[in-house]
Amino acid sequence: MKIAVCIKQVVTREWQLRVNEPKTWIRDQDASFELNEPDAYALEEALRQKEKHGGEVVVVSAGPARATQVLREALARGADRAIHVESDTLAAADALVIADALACAIREEKFDLVLTGLQSDDQGFGQVGVVLAEKLGMPSASIIMEVQASESGLRVKRELEAGWFQWISLPLPALLTIQSGINQLRYATLKGIMAAKKKEIRKVTASGSAAPAQKILRVYFPEKGKKTQMIPGSATEAAKALVQKLRDEARVIA
Amino acid sequence: MDRETLEVDVLIVGGGPAGMSAALRLAQLQKAQGGEPLAIAVLEKAREAGAHMLSGAMLDPSALRELIPDFKEKGAPVASEVHHEHVYFLTKNSKVPFPITPPPLQNHGNYVISLNRFVKWMSGLVEAEGIDLFAGFPASEVLYDGDRVVGVRTRDQGIDKHGAKKSTFEAGVEIRAKVTILCDGVRGNLTKAVVRRLALDEGRQPQLYAIGLKELWEVPKDRIKAGTVVHTLGYPLKREEFGGGFLYAMPDGVVSVGFVTGLDYRDPMFDPHLTFQHFKQHPAIAAILQGGQMVRYGAKALPEGGWHTIPRVYADGLLIAGDAGGFVNSMRLKGIHLAMRTGMLAAETAYEAIRARDTSAARLWKYEERIDASEVRRELYPVRNVHQSFGYGLVPGLMYSGLSLVTGGWWLKDPMPAHAGFDRMAEIAEYYGEHKLDVDAPVRPVKVDRQLTFDKLTNVHHSGTRHTEDQPSHLIVYDTNICSTRCRVEYGNPCTRFCPANVYEMVDAGDGTKRLQINASNCVHCKTCDIMDPYQVIDWVPPEGGGGPQYDGM
Repeated sequence: MKIAVCIKQVVTREWQLRVNEPKTWIRDQDASFELNEPDAYALEEALRQKEKHGGEVVVVSAGPARATQVLREALARGADRAIHVESDTLAAADALVIADALACAIREEKFDLVLTGLQSDDQGFGQVGVVLAEKLGMPSASIIMEVQASESGLRVKRELEAGWFQWISLPLPALLTIQSGINQLRYATLKGIMAAKKKEIRKVTASGSAAPAQKILRVYFPEKGKKTQMIPGSATEAAKALVQKLRDEARVIA
Repeated sequence: MDRETLEVDVLIVGGGPAGMSAALRLAQLQKAQGGEPLAIAVLEKAREAGAHMLSGAMLDPSALRELIPDFKEKGAPVASEVHHEHVYFLTKNSKVPFPITPPPLQNHGNYVISLNRFVKWMSGLVEAEGIDLFAGFPASEVLYDGDRVVGVRTRDQGIDKHGAKKSTFEAGVEIRAKVTILCDGVRGNLTKAVVRRLALDEGRQPQLYAIGLKELWEVPKDRIKAGTVVHTLGYPLKREEFGGGFLYAMPDGVVSVGFVTGLDYRDPMFDPHLTFQHFKQHPAIAAILQGGQMVRYGAKALPEGGWHTIPRVYADGLLIAGDAGGFVNSMRLKGIHLAMRTGMLAAETAYEAIRARDTSAARLWKYEERIDASEVRRELYPVRNVHQSFGYGLVPGLMYSGLSLVTGGWWLKDPMPAHAGFDRMAEIAEYYGEHKLDVDAPVRPVKVDRQLTFDKLTNVHHSGTRHTEDQPSHLIVYDTNICSTRCRVEYGNPCTRFCPANVYEMVDAGDGTKRLQINASNCVHCKTCDIMDPYQVIDWVPPEGGGGPQYDGM
């Protein structure tokens, strides 16, 4: 099975977020970056499928030059080769633009299975995977917790709300967006890191033509506010009004 | 257990300034002299190069100039050259400038840097040379053949908190090398073990350490000029305590502020973190930080004992460089250039020895010879008794330090007698007399405002520290009974104070007594507990690879 895994480089969770000057994105100089967590699970799932069914695992990332860090890491964990859609603007682009760029980079390769993480730890759209499936003309399923592949196609377990799951079947080729926790991540090994040096990272320029459908107007921290209201009236009246406010406005009691 | 093995010529353990310099020097020698290429590997416990680097940091560029003459063209992150310097003696509410900047603290020509960025930059050069840099792989054990060091074993990964193997278990790898260069930093776990096993500290004085706490701040851009350097003595330390504060200004309003205290204090209730808070509240410092934002926090021990405390730094198949060997000038408050220099000298020695097919101690002894002929000795020997002299108090220490500039460090009794730092800590009853002391409450509390002053947990959050939760504690306390019984009475559990990351807590045991709780995930790898615990029952061992702080920009 020929599998593509789309991965993203994001700022580490430990980075002290600060907003940039036009207030449209975070300031990421000096930040350290890592592989987006759900994508790490998608990669692991691809490696496991390859171990079962054979084939090839290709990792693809769209982002600036620094994104080679996560591609190299993926190669060290066992991916066979990498494609880097290099662009300074894609890291913070909208889902349509990113999916279009990825689609252009991998369409020709005719993958049997494309995996993405469910969502990214930075923008968290949860859309790139499904839009990419549309662009590639493949069926897709999201929030996947188990993958059973056979010659006839896939049987996958989707996570629903409130502890419910759903099993569905779909033909190949297909795209799945993988939920964190679907498997246990393997550790990088010294041999893997050394082997990764010899693997190919093919750089391609972003050739997508989709116009941005969204624009970030402002990035800001949740505004913390403290409001004090004096409730007038006798103790009984005030208590009544207080209960009503707690129930209807603050919604802290039922 | 079947373990994979990896054979290399030179193994460098620790990717700090010493290790990176050693790797680069080896690559240079290789290029200049040709021949069969050497296999070189660098092991680093942090998730990425530089992540565990913490220093003031002031860089004396002497070694850098020699190692990478075109460092500016190569984009070395050394943006701010020192322009203005001040040394103050602080009293509670005011500052008294020193009439002249003492020569060891003159920093013209030096740079204020972020060691994190600097080492990240060096790691790029190392990788460009094709050297294998393995980040996220702590070494847990030294491998021996008799008394010969033949390499190290990396830590097993994927062990749960009860010590059982998880499904993802990955056995550590044995890396065998003709020469192993240990650059595992201050109180390095491997250096500690190998010094003990091979008695490399025989005839040397016990190492004296200090703990440094540091915050990175962003203040309004016009507040302080980049390249301004402030050092302080005095408040909030007592006269019997060794240490001082620093504040270094970088471009764009980035300020590095920190406090260093000798880990040889007597007062068992001393708390380095609270002392740092008192320091920031001093009007001279608060005025600079006011209205700014703290963006990063960290802490690290530093070896300050100097020349007489440096162990024998070579053995069969082994060289030790950088902080691991104790190469720090405590008078100039600098060690990065000495780490780089000893890394380079170790590389030169290793290279020659391998080419000569003799990596025995008799051959590697050349490393010591090189050190003796270099700036390392020229710099460290004259100040060999400085920290020791402060063992007699601030005033005698300052007098001796001044004198040593003239006499070249001569003293009636040389080496000046010194004890291990933990040995100097007094018992509560001895220090505080009969007076009943609540050891769970600070003697000099600080009102935490979360603007200028912080509690330890808030600070730890800003260190970016992360560890896999499901793993055995990497802080091994061999006898936890002592905590609730003897230590509580004798020293009042000083680990709860000297740990700058709230790793050690005494919690109610439910039967009216207290028991030790170890919050290992908070650990910022400063090594203070391993050093300062009065009973010497704490052992710091490396946690799972990649765990620890994330010192971006520090």
